Amino acid sequence: MNTPTNQELFDAWRHEPAPLLPLLHAFHDRDGYLSEGAMRAIAKELRLPLADLFGTVTFYHHLSREPGGHQAPRVCTGPVCQLKGAAQVLASLDGATSMPCPGRCDDPVPVLVGDKVFTGAELDRARSPLPPPPPDGIDECVFAAIRATARDSIEGYRASGGYRALPTAIEKMRPGELLDLVDASQLAGRGGAGFPTGRKWRAVADAEGTPKTIVCNADEGEPGCFKDRVLMDHDPHAVIESMALAAYATGASRGFIYLRYEYPETYRLLARAIAEAEAADMIGNAVCGTGFSFHLYLRRGAGAYICGEETSLLNSLEGKHPFPRNRPPFPVTHGYENLPTVVNNVETLVSVPPIVVHGADWYRDLGLSDHPGTKVISLSGDIKRPGNYEVPIGLPLMSLLQDWAGGPGEGRSVQAVTMAGLSGGFLAGEDLDVALDEPSIRAKGSFLGAGGIMVFDDTRDMIDVAHSAMEFFAHESCGKCFPCRIGTRRLTERLNGAGPDDVTQWVDEVSDIGETMKQTSACGLGMAAPLITESLMKYFPERVTEHVGNRRGANR
Amino acid sequence: MIRRATEEPVTQQPTPPAIHTLTLDGEEVSFTAGETLIDITYRHHKDVPNLCYDPRLEPFGACRLCIVELEGANNPVASCTTLAEPNMVVTTRTARLETHRRVLMEMVASENRDIDVDPLSGYASQQMRELVDQYDARTGRFQGEQSGTSREDDDNPFIKRDYDNCISCYRCVRVCAEQEGDYAISVMNRGFDTQITTEFEGLLVDSACTFCGQCIQTCPTGALADLKALANKDVPGETVTTRTICPYCGVGCTVDVMTRGEQIVGVLPAMDGPANEGALCVKGQFAFDFVHHPDRLATPLVRGDDGELHEASWDEALDRAATGFRKVLDEHGRHSVYGVASGRAPTEACYMLQRFIRAGFGTNQIDNCSRA
Repeated sequence: MNTPTNQELFDAWRHEPAPLLPLLHAFHDRDGYLSEGAMRAIAKELRLPLADLFGTVTFYHHLSREPGGHQAPRVCTGPVCQLKGAAQVLASLDGATSMPCPGRCDDPVPVLVGDKVFTGAELDRARSPLPPPPPDGIDECVFAAIRATARDSIEGYRASGGYRALPTAIEKMRPGELLDLVDASQLAGRGGAGFPTGRKWRAVADAEGTPKTIVCNADEGEPGCFKDRVLMDHDPHAVIESMALAAYATGASRGFIYLRYEYPETYRLLARAIAEAEAADMIGNAVCGTGFSFHLYLRRGAGAYICGEETSLLNSLEGKHPFPRNRPPFPVTHGYENLPTVVNNVETLVSVPPIVVHGADWYRDLGLSDHPGTKVISLSGDIKRPGNYEVPIGLPLMSLLQDWAGGPGEGRSVQAVTMAGLSGGFLAGEDLDVALDEPSIRAKGSFLGAGGIMVFDDTRDMIDVAHSAMEFFAHESCGKCFPCRIGTRRLTERLNGAGPDDVTQWVDEVSDIGETMKQTSACGLGMAAPLITESLMKYFPERVTEHVGNRRGANR
Repeated sequence: MIRRATEEPVTQQPTPPAIHTLTLDGEEVSFTAGETLIDITYRHHKDVPNLCYDPRLEPFGACRLCIVELEGANNPVASCTTLAEPNMVVTTRTARLETHRRVLMEMVASENRDIDVDPLSGYASQQMRELVDQYDARTGRFQGEQSGTSREDDDNPFIKRDYDNCISCYRCVRVCAEQEGDYAISVMNRGFDTQITTEFEGLLVDSACTFCGQCIQTCPTGALADLKALANKDVPGETVTTRTICPYCGVGCTVDVMTRGEQIVGVLPAMDGPANEGALCVKGQFAFDFVHHPDRLATPLVRGDDGELHEASWDEALDRAATGFRKVLDEHGRHSVYGVASGRAPTEACYMLQRFIRAGFGTNQIDNCSRA
């Protein structure tokens, strides 16, 4: 195949919606980096100020500005991979650099080379492992059919019950009835915020302004979270079907899947599934042969955790600098291109087709006691069977760790776990005796969030773990608001041996920074990051004293 | 939309914005829809601290110092980005707010090399120092790495780029885009590594920068500073500002000229100047050297019989000019005269010149250099 010219790349993307990211990737792929010439050409073609485009390119971790940079290996040095030999892998590969968690904690240590991820001891695996089967008697929602043969193809999807909900809804339900059904299911956002999905959809349906947009937030950047990856890899048509349902319910005519950069294999699987779905009229100009039209576009991020924050994501899609927006107004009225927009996490969306097929009562009853539905937990770290588990909401944490996942290694005990990936900080000691539902976990000062849980056994140094976690937040802070930009750096330094020599002063500084970050940061990143230090000081005060005290000794 | 003159004039008045009330520090105050909380606090002289706020720019919400308590909200909210709503209950000063503001000021102070910068650096250059002192934030807490890399290699004569003192409030980037429309500078990298930059980290002279100086004047730390003014920092005397109008073009930008003794040491744009609202161009901002230049004409000159120019009185000079015009008119007629008004002249002066040419000489040959 001939190398495409600039003009051919522009012709391919210029008139597509949200063209900046795909154009950057097209030049990045073609040239192996983003040259000054490429950036000048793109800025001219899209009529963007060159300084703005340059600044935005530098924001993304994975866009290289050095020749050959695209193919240089990047090795995960996230909190779990650090436990599993990341440093050795990094040292063994020529020209390798580290990258934040790319969502492979169930199969460490991943290496990203160009548009491929390799993982496993021999670096020979690319595909996501399927979720382990649930214990007997447990009903699943989003994983119920994911293990069916060839589920990722349209034939396999149909053969295992897929594309039943969409035609049923379009033929037998008015949009308002679909909204009522989602309301009744009590489905809430599974990306971490837990906002009622029915209410969000209804707000978009009621909002003025067209075209309306459905955005699937597949920028799964939280360390320790890899649930959306498995859903998209093994059940891509469920994503498509659910987005079409959301569009039907809200009156949206276009949709985007915003996929994180670190899932290149998923990109190819989704692209193939979208083409199959278009050919089968499940999306496109005449969905299911009716007058309902819904066009779906796949867009790839470029390496920025903050783009999982919905307003940063929208800015990124629009080709702007991906700072979070000030809210209100919220995306339901002022979203993509300032028009009404649903932004839903992958897991939230794919819960909808089973709800349409089985009903709201069925979904609600999947949870334990009063808690409606299920939650996928990505479990990793020092645990015998890491992986994605779809648990009934309200399941005791220890039951998941011990009964479902086999517990920590032989002779070891669980020292601490993280919640919400890293954003919920640590739970340890007696607080491990907690049910996996939002109110119970919030009562412990943490939150369930997107459902990533990393396990650390009694051999691990929690100061190291906390440092690694805070380093991540500092690396990913967008730099817009002062408390997060400065605070994440100062906390990282204090976990790495800097700061006052006196324990009381150290704790004062760390607590003051943390409180101000929690209460004044502009978005969730800065509010959540200090939960790491707060929970470290709460559960491991003697380690903190040792950490500060040892350093004093070492400095003298 | 442009209305043609033949159409009926629009008689319908626009609906006036609705007036609502909210409670501000225990007092009921009114506001119009669309106002932010910080707008209202300013109107009521509440002195809410801020570093990233410039009333001319879109609300941004970076520094978080303007936080206020909002009844019903768990956390304080940034007053610059919060739209006022009817019946809100807002408190601008509580122990919690003051604690956060102090911690924030200690944090910001910890990332900068210099808190104290020469006031000649720029209009807003003392803002950070004043807040550090107001919040007693020279505690040395939160020490650590400092952010920003200064561009000592940028040898432009106007703008100092001392990013060691940058606090990433983005006022410069925003004023460049929103007020000047140049988009010459932007934000590079992210988090603590954030750096204000031009395209490809180049020099300002190679960028879209027009050296209007607005970035300098909005900078609250003196990280961007006025090199022309700082060159006069050793001129003795107290700095006195005099409100006047920029002499360069017909726009009529209001400026505050800074002098020490008889010497001009710098120019500040007037934020309340009706024509410019704090904006200037490179000439109005930086080009004041001519005032004290030895080549500057201080009296009229007339050419003597020896062919050289000699100092003269205004009467002598005007008589000489009038004689010259009369001679041309007598010898070549009224259409031998052509008047060109300076683009630096205001409308009134242009009007006078065309009256002078039309009524005085009887020709329509009148033009303005701006027409080109």
